[in-house]
Amino acid sequence: MSYKDRRRLLWILFLIGLGLIAVVAQATTLVRLHFQDLVHYSYSIARVRCMHADVRVENGEIWTDTSVRVLSHNKGYLPEEIVVRQPGGKFQHLHSHVDGAPEFRPGEEVYLFLSAHSGGQFLIVGWAQGTFRIHRDLRSGGEAVTQDSVETLVFDPASNSFTKAGIRNLSIDAFEQRLHREIQRESE
Amino acid sequence: MILPLKGNAMQTTLRQFASIAMTLFLTLWSVITAQGYSFNQIVPDVRQPGGVSGGSACPVPSHHLTSAAAIAFRWSTVLGTNPKTILTQNQTASDSLNEIEQVIQQSLSVWSSVSGTALTSASIAPLVRNSAANLCGSDGINSICFDQPDMAFTPGVLAFTRVIAADQIGIRLGSGPPSTQVGQILDADIYFNPSDSLVSFSTPAALAANPKSYDLESILTHELGHALGFSHSAVWSAMMFPFAPAPGTYTGMRPTAQQPDAPLSDDDRTGLRVLYHDPTDTQFIGSIQGRILPANPLSLPASPPGVTGVFGAHVVAVDAASGAVIVGILGGWSCQAPGPAQFDGTYQIGALAVNHTYKIYAEPLNGAVGPSEVSNALASLCRNAITDPGWPPLQSCVVPQPNLEFTTATRSSP
Repeated sequence: MSYKDRRRLLWILFLIGLGLIAVVAQATTLVRLHFQDLVHYSYSIARVRCMHADVRVENGEIWTDTSVRVLSHNKGYLPEEIVVRQPGGKFQHLHSHVDGAPEFRPGEEVYLFLSAHSGGQFLIVGWAQGTFRIHRDLRSGGEAVTQDSVETLVFDPASNSFTKAGIRNLSIDAFEQRLHREIQRESE
Repeated sequence: MILPLKGNAMQTTLRQFASIAMTLFLTLWSVITAQGYSFNQIVPDVRQPGGVSGGSACPVPSHHLTSAAAIAFRWSTVLGTNPKTILTQNQTASDSLNEIEQVIQQSLSVWSSVSGTALTSASIAPLVRNSAANLCGSDGINSICFDQPDMAFTPGVLAFTRVIAADQIGIRLGSGPPSTQVGQILDADIYFNPSDSLVSFSTPAALAANPKSYDLESILTHELGHALGFSHSAVWSAMMFPFAPAPGTYTGMRPTAQQPDAPLSDDDRTGLRVLYHDPTDTQFIGSIQGRILPANPLSLPASPPGVTGVFGAHVVAVDAASGAVIVGILGGWSCQAPGPAQFDGTYQIGALAVNHTYKIYAEPLNGAVGPSEVSNALASLCRNAITDPGWPPLQSCVVPQPNLEFTTATRSSP
């Protein structure tokens, strides 16, 4: 890369940084929920394994009901198996899309922050924000979690650097500890 | 990382880093192709006769028809009072409704004013008011609702758009006409959160006086992008970037009479030109195509089988002269009739202005925008026998996990 190209690239990065001062981490369809907000608004928090999904039409709208097996729960009581409802899905020849609604694969394990609904299904608090996917960390070999809505980079003028909120690649142990602390703080 | 591109049919080699690196072959093409942008995709139902399904399992972006007055929106004049969620400068009931309607008109105009697309102001039918509550629903009519409860609202959800598209010709929804194209959007409803006392939306005229509220125009323009068929964009300046401006601020610039599409970025405009291609346009007909391949093929995932390139990369075109980001796409797949999609690392960037030089770079989707924010655009590329009983095996596929691990680096071009 020539000096001129490098200088141009630095200018682009600088201008992006300036632009980001005004951009806080709020999804267009979502308003940012801090971790403690997620804990507070959740009826239950659980580690689940996704089994299968069924598409239903209710009140004229298409919904995807994902059956999940509760592996452990950190907050609230949950039966062994529950149904998590998301807007959208494929019904006959109609494909209903709602951007921002998480989708799950059979066998996938996730932590979900859930709110109960009178219909018996559970909803995910803040959609992507209340979804923490479990994966294998390549470096440590252990399990780690990443929040679906890992927050956007925000330029911090004080430190002159970009910072990130949200949870990315956090070890299960650290995540559980943080969760435990927040739940305890809330109950005090 | 920016890869220099200063001519036709240029190959840029990258060095290996960590487990995966990639090689990017860039070729300038003169044919517009419509693949790879972050659109909501529909795989046609090839179990049906070719006359109604098209006979191909290649994904089709969901879209509206663009004939005269083909896109009609109505809006519910029912507004929340407890809490009051829509804030206007004018306080009388009728003036307040006029002010909101002006915002809706303006937001529609932002999209229909983009040059070089088949979506024009003539495609948009006159906006209709409706005083009914609960106007939004799967009825074949596009609606905007400010005070309609929906089960999908949980704490933290500001607004969302439900888009329903058909996977074959002849599908009717509610009172709407039957679909005449595969992927045609039959209904798109925009819901604003009606019941969160911490959330309110202000018209541009009222925003300064209500700095804790969200800009109605920015959020509505973004949601209209979904209603037109867009998924999210990973380009920071884009209207379709999944993160909204902070309360009291707005996205991009305000529209003006001289530039009614000012709130949009080049990324939004380019996407719209691909989605609503204007066959008479002569300016935005450039296209760049290439493949993203790992330096070590053994690093490709073994499952699902048949993955021969890096999937899910964010491939960005930058105007070499101005440094402006023109467009970003989701690369890593291609499709030729009769399908299905092949995960061969291909990307195609279409609707580029001719007589410009572009630099191309690719990056994993592990930055400000992750795969979950574009899950519709990624997950909807395939159908298979597990999710669709009776689906023909030869036209089935499984979408691989987006590759978030690769790293690129540049070497001087030859």
